[in-house]
Amino acid sequence: MNKRNMLKASLALSALMVFTHGAHAEFKPTRPIELVVHSGPGGGNDVMGRALIAAIDDAKLSPVRIQISNKVGGGGATAASYLAEKKGDPHVIGIFTSVWITNPLVQQEANVSIRELTPISLMLLEPALIAVRAESPFKTLGDFIEAAKANPGKMKQSGGSPLARDALVRTVLQAKTGARWAFISFPSGGERISALLGGHVDAMVIEPAEAGELIRSGKIRAVAQVADARLPDFKDIPTLKEAGFDVPNPPQPRGLIGPPGMAPDVLKYYEELMQKAAQSPGWQKFVRDGLFEAKVLGPKQTTEFLTQTEVQMRGILQESGVKLVR
Amino acid sequence: MDIFSGLMHGFSVALMPTNLLWCLVGCFLGTVVGILPGLGPAATIAMLLPMTYNMSPTGGIIMLTGIYYGAKYGGSTTSILLNMPGESSSVVTCLDGYQMARKGRAGAALGIAAIASFIAGTFGIVALSLVAPTVADYALSFSSPEYFALMALGLALVVLLAGDSLVKGLIALLIGLWLTSIGTDLFTSQSRFTFGQSSLLSGLDFMIVAIGVFAITEVLNSIADSEETQILPVPKGLRNLLPSWEELKACRFAFANGSIVGFVIGVLPGAGASIASFISYGIERAVSKHPEKFGTGVPEGVAAPEGANNADSGGALIPLLTLGIPGGGTTAILLSALVLWGVKPGPLMMTESPDVFWGLVASLYIGNVMLLILNLPMVPIFAQILRIPVYVLHPLILGVSVIGAYSVSGRVFDVMLLAGFGLLGYAMSRLKFPVAPLVLGFVLGDAMERALRQSLMMSQGDLSILFSRPISAVMIACAIVVLFLPLLPRFRALKQAAG
Repeated sequence: MNKRNMLKASLALSALMVFTHGAHAEFKPTRPIELVVHSGPGGGNDVMGRALIAAIDDAKLSPVRIQISNKVGGGGATAASYLAEKKGDPHVIGIFTSVWITNPLVQQEANVSIRELTPISLMLLEPALIAVRAESPFKTLGDFIEAAKANPGKMKQSGGSPLARDALVRTVLQAKTGARWAFISFPSGGERISALLGGHVDAMVIEPAEAGELIRSGKIRAVAQVADARLPDFKDIPTLKEAGFDVPNPPQPRGLIGPPGMAPDVLKYYEELMQKAAQSPGWQKFVRDGLFEAKVLGPKQTTEFLTQTEVQMRGILQESGVKLVR
Repeated sequence: MDIFSGLMHGFSVALMPTNLLWCLVGCFLGTVVGILPGLGPAATIAMLLPMTYNMSPTGGIIMLTGIYYGAKYGGSTTSILLNMPGESSSVVTCLDGYQMARKGRAGAALGIAAIASFIAGTFGIVALSLVAPTVADYALSFSSPEYFALMALGLALVVLLAGDSLVKGLIALLIGLWLTSIGTDLFTSQSRFTFGQSSLLSGLDFMIVAIGVFAITEVLNSIADSEETQILPVPKGLRNLLPSWEELKACRFAFANGSIVGFVIGVLPGAGASIASFISYGIERAVSKHPEKFGTGVPEGVAAPEGANNADSGGALIPLLTLGIPGGGTTAILLSALVLWGVKPGPLMMTESPDVFWGLVASLYIGNVMLLILNLPMVPIFAQILRIPVYVLHPLILGVSVIGAYSVSGRVFDVMLLAGFGLLGYAMSRLKFPVAPLVLGFVLGDAMERALRQSLMMSQGDLSILFSRPISAVMIACAIVVLFLPLLPRFRALKQAAG
């Protein structure tokens, strides 16, 4: 046997070994796992990623280190296209949120749809409250809607981008009731709350963690919650449906997602890792402290959930007059 | 608990050895982070957060807050020595700080920055401990029309920063306004000037623009002028490395100006430390007896912005601690840290968690003294950097700039932008365009556009909302005065020439 043949033979042998290895053995990460988040350090996804890693480390669930990789830009577009480029790499996963669904619908530049990637696991839903300031004459959501009907365009709501959940809640309520009020965008949560507390706007869709202390001290009043069932910490506040507004509830999901075409054994590994992480004390504390709604789904159900959400979001965005590009 | 006994209790908490240690660690880390361009306090706190899970809330918040205000002390160092801003709030310090260094007064500039930081920082903390709840209500009365008027006042100061040619200054301002509009529009989610690049969707980062037009441009200029030996003179002897009595005396007003402007703007959730530093610099120049000397290395041009960005810290903690409202990226992380430790910032924090609240406030007093002690002895050592020959210093500046730009969000694209802004700044300086209006336009333009659109949405398109509210009307009137005052002598000259 000459050298070349020897090389061929050894290549064939190693290929065979890889093949049998892949068919029988399970995937085990061999180098640090990169966890892609679309926000900079301190942003919502980054904080969630770091809490997840701390929970996994504490419970010793991963044989290798997991590292945060901040792929900031384009409200998720940079992170999504980074994941799309990592096709076939079993050591990269990312955290998605609802902007991964909505951004590609309205921005030409955001050209990676969540459908091209491999959903691994939904982890949580972020509920929300509709709040008014304490001095406000509105005691219920109905009061606000009636006032908005009587003075079209005069009532004001502070919020974020027109793609964000707070804007979507307004759209579904306006469509249902025929009331019209202004939606004023502020870049940060702090500015939105300041506008509400200062009486410059009349209402706001606020996250429970942001609202908790302000409600307890009597600075603001929650009139409804944007959730399917009442949250444990806000038992006296009616859901949208209970308040008399049977509208679809635009969800704000967060979960794990992998590069396109993830191999079944790799997907299974991450699915199990996330199921175990979701049970870990560290993660449960994170969900409890942030007043999130734990909702853990496997890959198949997560994919279904995301597909449904995309259809729902598309409808709501069309209704609100946002220009869709896809 | 009244304020005095609260503070006494706070000092008994903050002076415990472990808490003192955490305060020192935080202040030291903050200084280091401030000196390094790119890596900011927000990113540092987020990365350290998981390590503090098991610490006591008081120790943890004392350390993390130390990073926050410590970074503002350190930010001026590279601005002064290398024309390379270490933090966004120290960008304006480049204008006079670096010119002082070029005149051989690097040590003096560093010393003034440290002293101004100490005085204004302490003022901010005293104000925080005395009037926190009252001031929080004042901040809430500020709405979009007031923010618009504040930014308009800031932009009016451009006329003063424009230098010899008003036209060139205004062109530079327009470039800055255009650059800041790149990215996704908040109100419609449509992209503006992104040229199909998804990397541009989130807009340009201020630090990349600033490092480009200041540091990179300076290196290119220096190469073009073939400065061969060490670029800057470093005088011998400790006495010459510290600010002189005359320099300190010239800063008297700047210390007060920086303290008040920084604190007042810091309390507002919609305006950050960089805006505070620009506005106090503008005011300093507007009231100066020798405004034409600004930009050539006057000590008050360093003292005002460096004071303002430190007084801002005390102000910014007020909405955070009394209402649970973060005003910026760094305070937002401090908020999530407090929540993680089970402390709930909000109107009830002062009564329900007095240990954390007053312990933190007392630690700010201690931290400010620590920072002064940490920073002043470093002045003579840092000043020696300027002895490094240019053939070593230039590659070093370029290297640190590139790392800084990359570390902002980990993208090579940002490094290319950095090079682009370096070339833009170089072209501007060769054509004698001032760069300060560009940077000011970039900082204020975005916030000003937002405030204007918010105001008009609130009033359903009625412009009178900007003039019918007292605070905004007064600020707009000030802006008009600032705009026209410097033109008066020119009109007189024109009249004389005509008559």
